[in-house]
Amino acid sequence: MQTLLDLWAAHSSTVAFAMVNALMALSTYAVLSTGVLSFTTVVFAAVGGFLSAQLVAKLGMPLAIAFPLAAVGGGLAAAMVAGAFLKLETHWMALASLALVLITRVVALNAPVLTGGVNGLVIPRRVSLGELTVVLVLVALVFYRLSRSWYGLAARAVREDPAVASTMGISPYRVQFIAFLISGVVGGLAGAALAFTLQFISPETYFIGIAFTMIASTVLGGSFHWFGSIIGAAIFTALPVAMQAVVPAFEDVAKGIALLVIMIFLPRGLIDPRAAGLRRAARARIAAESNNA
Amino acid sequence: MRDSRTILAVQGVVKLFGGIAAVDGLTTEVRQGSVHGLIGPNGAGKTTMINLITGLFHPSEGAIHFDGKSLEAKAPQDIAALGIARTYQNVRLFSGMTALEQVMTGCYLSRGTSLFASFLGTPAARRRWSESEERARGLLRRVGLTERDGALAETLSYGEQRRIEIARALGSSPKLLLLDEPTAGMNHAEATEIGRLVHELRDGGLTVLMVEHNMGLVTEFCDDCTVMNFGRLLARGNPQSCIADPAVQEAYFGRKQDADRIQALR
Repeated sequence: MQTLLDLWAAHSSTVAFAMVNALMALSTYAVLSTGVLSFTTVVFAAVGGFLSAQLVAKLGMPLAIAFPLAAVGGGLAAAMVAGAFLKLETHWMALASLALVLITRVVALNAPVLTGGVNGLVIPRRVSLGELTVVLVLVALVFYRLSRSWYGLAARAVREDPAVASTMGISPYRVQFIAFLISGVVGGLAGAALAFTLQFISPETYFIGIAFTMIASTVLGGSFHWFGSIIGAAIFTALPVAMQAVVPAFEDVAKGIALLVIMIFLPRGLIDPRAAGLRRAARARIAAESNNA
Repeated sequence: MRDSRTILAVQGVVKLFGGIAAVDGLTTEVRQGSVHGLIGPNGAGKTTMINLITGLFHPSEGAIHFDGKSLEAKAPQDIAALGIARTYQNVRLFSGMTALEQVMTGCYLSRGTSLFASFLGTPAARRRWSESEERARGLLRRVGLTERDGALAETLSYGEQRRIEIARALGSSPKLLLLDEPTAGMNHAEATEIGRLVHELRDGGLTVLMVEHNMGLVTEFCDDCTVMNFGRLLARGNPQSCIADPAVQEAYFGRKQDADRIQALR
């Protein structure tokens, strides 16, 4: 029993970070599932993170209010980003989103009143694992409902072929705009979750590092199902920790190797709904052939 | 006799790609409730015309009116909402979707509920969803596909995929259906099956404009036709007289005197 408790004490922070990363990955998945590769989750997370941190530190707001406001902040930022970005071709959009991440850091560094500047912000309150779980479960529930709705169907159509989708009456712009809003709301929540897990944030917190982790989590877990982002984030967070315990020398490259292996052998990620359909078809073919024989 | 009202009017439409005119001043009309064949040799501009009608391209000059409304500068989704649906020359189904999901996606315009209500899963939205699902199943039966609802579309045969595309296009309950070579790669029996389906749809009140290469099928199943060559109108009217037209014969088979000269050289 004692060993179990020790294990939990040692790894509860890994679990917390896995949940934060899952939120980040879901925010990325929200746009990726409509065919938009965007790193702007980092920007939405920064808005949500600094906003909620200030609300709690300066105004003494409870987390139950700060988190929803972080979501609203992220959503508003997303509406502005979507308005500007959706005019661009997809590959330029990815590049523009990266540029926006760079700009956000500079702006954050130069607005110490809002962000603490180079000194960062110390956050007096910590989010508990239970609270994080509630947020993640609620967000997962939203993605579950979306995937089984008209929006989910339209999103898949737009991702696969926007021109064909448009001739069926689906507006790619509208679908992708909604996707950005969802990405912003979830990104804002993820930023707040990160802030209250780390208890110290600075402009460096919301930078390229998380951009890499969230994209990698989504690709690793599978970008064709929302659950893939959660699985991917869990693996990506646990992997370096596990590696450190087993082969410390490989800790730094473990993520990179995992990503390469997945991209080469499972390009559609661990959770792939299409693969099941292909297997079923293959089985049916074999059955039909053996019947004929 | 059938309604003679014009549902689609194409007036002097030009489409330039760089300096090349893919469609060069085409004028034609499609009567409501007819099956209209759009024919012509390869590169005549037929598919470009379909793309212009559905708003994937916009004409460089000229105008297209559907049901009395101008389609000028309208986005594809707005044109679809007016009641135009289409299929594609090279099947363009969505990867990773089952046959039923493809057709459900086609039902997007006729879903009868807001996106938000469907997300919340209100009782009304749920009812509408299962109604759409029933309709989608029915459409798959209608195009002759049974026991394929749950199969990934990309695992099905070419002919089956073409029929799923037709079912998907019917999902929005369109007034005008554009079929771009619906029988390509099909054998005679399958092609005749499609011809019959098109007639059934017409008898149900739908107007069909189909690009078709199979002349037998055109004479058998089309009420009217428009023949194009090099982006221009070559002939228009009933299929038999169009095909008998010397200009059409020449475009398809070459000139008689050329054939005679080649024969003489042998």
